[in-house]
Amino acid sequence: MATEYAPSSMYRSREGMGIWEHRGKVAAVGVGHSPTERRWDERTETSVGAWSIMALRNAIADAGVSPDQVDGIVIVPVTTTGAFWPEDKPLPQDVINAFVQTDDPLDGVAKLSVEWLLKNMPELTNINYSVYAPVCMSNALNVAAQAVGDGLAHTVLVLKAWHNLEGRYYQGGQNAQDAIGGISAIRSLWGAPACYGTALQFAEYCRKYGKNHDMMTPFIINSRRNGLMFPEGYWAQHRPEELTPEDYQLARWIAKPANLFDNDIPIMCAASYLFTTAERAKDMKQKPVYILNHADSYTVPRGLTPTLDEVEAECALTARKIYEGAGITAADLSFENMYDGFTQFHQFHIEGLGYRGIGFGDALDFYQTDISIEGPNPVSPSGGNIGSGRSRFWMHTDSIQQLQGRAGERQITGVKAEIGVSGGPMPLGGNYTVWSATPD
Amino acid sequence: MAILISFDIDGTMEIGDPPGAVTLEMVKTARAKGIITGSCSDRPMSAQRAIWEEYGVEYDFVCYKHLLTDLKTQFEAEEYYHVGDRDDLDRKYAIQAGFGFFWPDEAAKNSLLL
Repeated sequence: MATEYAPSSMYRSREGMGIWEHRGKVAAVGVGHSPTERRWDERTETSVGAWSIMALRNAIADAGVSPDQVDGIVIVPVTTTGAFWPEDKPLPQDVINAFVQTDDPLDGVAKLSVEWLLKNMPELTNINYSVYAPVCMSNALNVAAQAVGDGLAHTVLVLKAWHNLEGRYYQGGQNAQDAIGGISAIRSLWGAPACYGTALQFAEYCRKYGKNHDMMTPFIINSRRNGLMFPEGYWAQHRPEELTPEDYQLARWIAKPANLFDNDIPIMCAASYLFTTAERAKDMKQKPVYILNHADSYTVPRGLTPTLDEVEAECALTARKIYEGAGITAADLSFENMYDGFTQFHQFHIEGLGYRGIGFGDALDFYQTDISIEGPNPVSPSGGNIGSGRSRFWMHTDSIQQLQGRAGERQITGVKAEIGVSGGPMPLGGNYTVWSATPD
Repeated sequence: MAILISFDIDGTMEIGDPPGAVTLEMVKTARAKGIITGSCSDRPMSAQRAIWEEYGVEYDFVCYKHLLTDLKTQFEAEEYYHVGDRDDLDRKYAIQAGFGFFWPDEAAKNSLLL
């Protein structure tokens, strides 16, 4: 069974598609996580492959199903955005030999294939549907939801894992080569840090609306606070440090006006969810969280870096797609878990959504109000990447857990958790899921 | 003669991530010699304070690396040093601020800390 990338027909990319045909008929039930680490210590049991298997098994157990009930798997095969195995570094042969290997020795070490997972999870005896999703868990969730809805599989595991290696992020791979191909040849030529495009947009945002970087402070503090209540996350597990206004506002610029704490910390981790039909979910161990819609943003910017105008237009378009397919309005959202790694994505996303009635240019003023989990307007209750490290999946785990009523200390209390939205990463280029405590 | 030494944490001190060559005992030794000590790291300043307090090591300051110049105005000393493991952050900012600079393994062998 050769696994391919999901076809474009699986995504809900256009406005005007109407209510999602599977609205409320697909549910998330199980959640499984691995531990987190800052970097791989090169032990077998902490490899990205081992942690992926752990996350998958945890999701299966959490859902209360037997492995042979699972008939589909959706994974993101890429496990990094900036940590690449150096060409001159010997392969970790002991780790490779500890697993049943594919033709690619870095499978399970610095990337993942369905083939590798199935070879090393012999209990998954009934997989007859597998597909790859690019980049993020957000994307994989859209694919999995559509696959279950379309009847391609009835019980699907979704997986995203991250490795991080010794050394500095973004210093290897093509950035270490003498030549770079494609658009990256232009974008990377000047050595700009990854957040520079977002920082440019944020600078224009501040100029246009008369805001400033310090106004991000409550969002940062709130995100870290929420992250420290996320036992699966990096900061909660390893460095339970709250942030103060002084900590944030005096930190060095990475690309002004984005500073160190506007960037997320690369880590190792893996997470998996178990999706199934609403009908089957009723008999599983956890409360089903129903999917009302999924939406895709795919607009290509006119230039190398999207302008603020493009960002705002796309976020508004994405919101219209989200609401249209789910058959809801902004007023129906109990909470939002839009992407935040870089922090300065977040205001674009929630302004596009019109969360709690805000419009473009309003988010930083909104941040000065009560945005805590105890208040009526919870912002990023997951804490996102800022609260728990670079995974791009905390927002999804939290959305599921909030609606299942098992978010623990993070459980929102100022508003009843009924419908939430999560997704990202980029304002131009992301995938979104609308979650609900009830199927209708 | 007053001397100030600032220590980066990650990659520099034994308690850093990754650990470095400078031990807490070396910092205590420096302090016993009357040297002004503290940390200049990318870690949150509140976290830097918490680290010193957790390990029971007194400190005179915490700071961000890019604020070494400001630090110099706060303490009068004849010699200022920064110890760190990154050329583009520790060494660069130390030089910009007019600090002497030691790599962690150099500092760990220096008589100021022994």
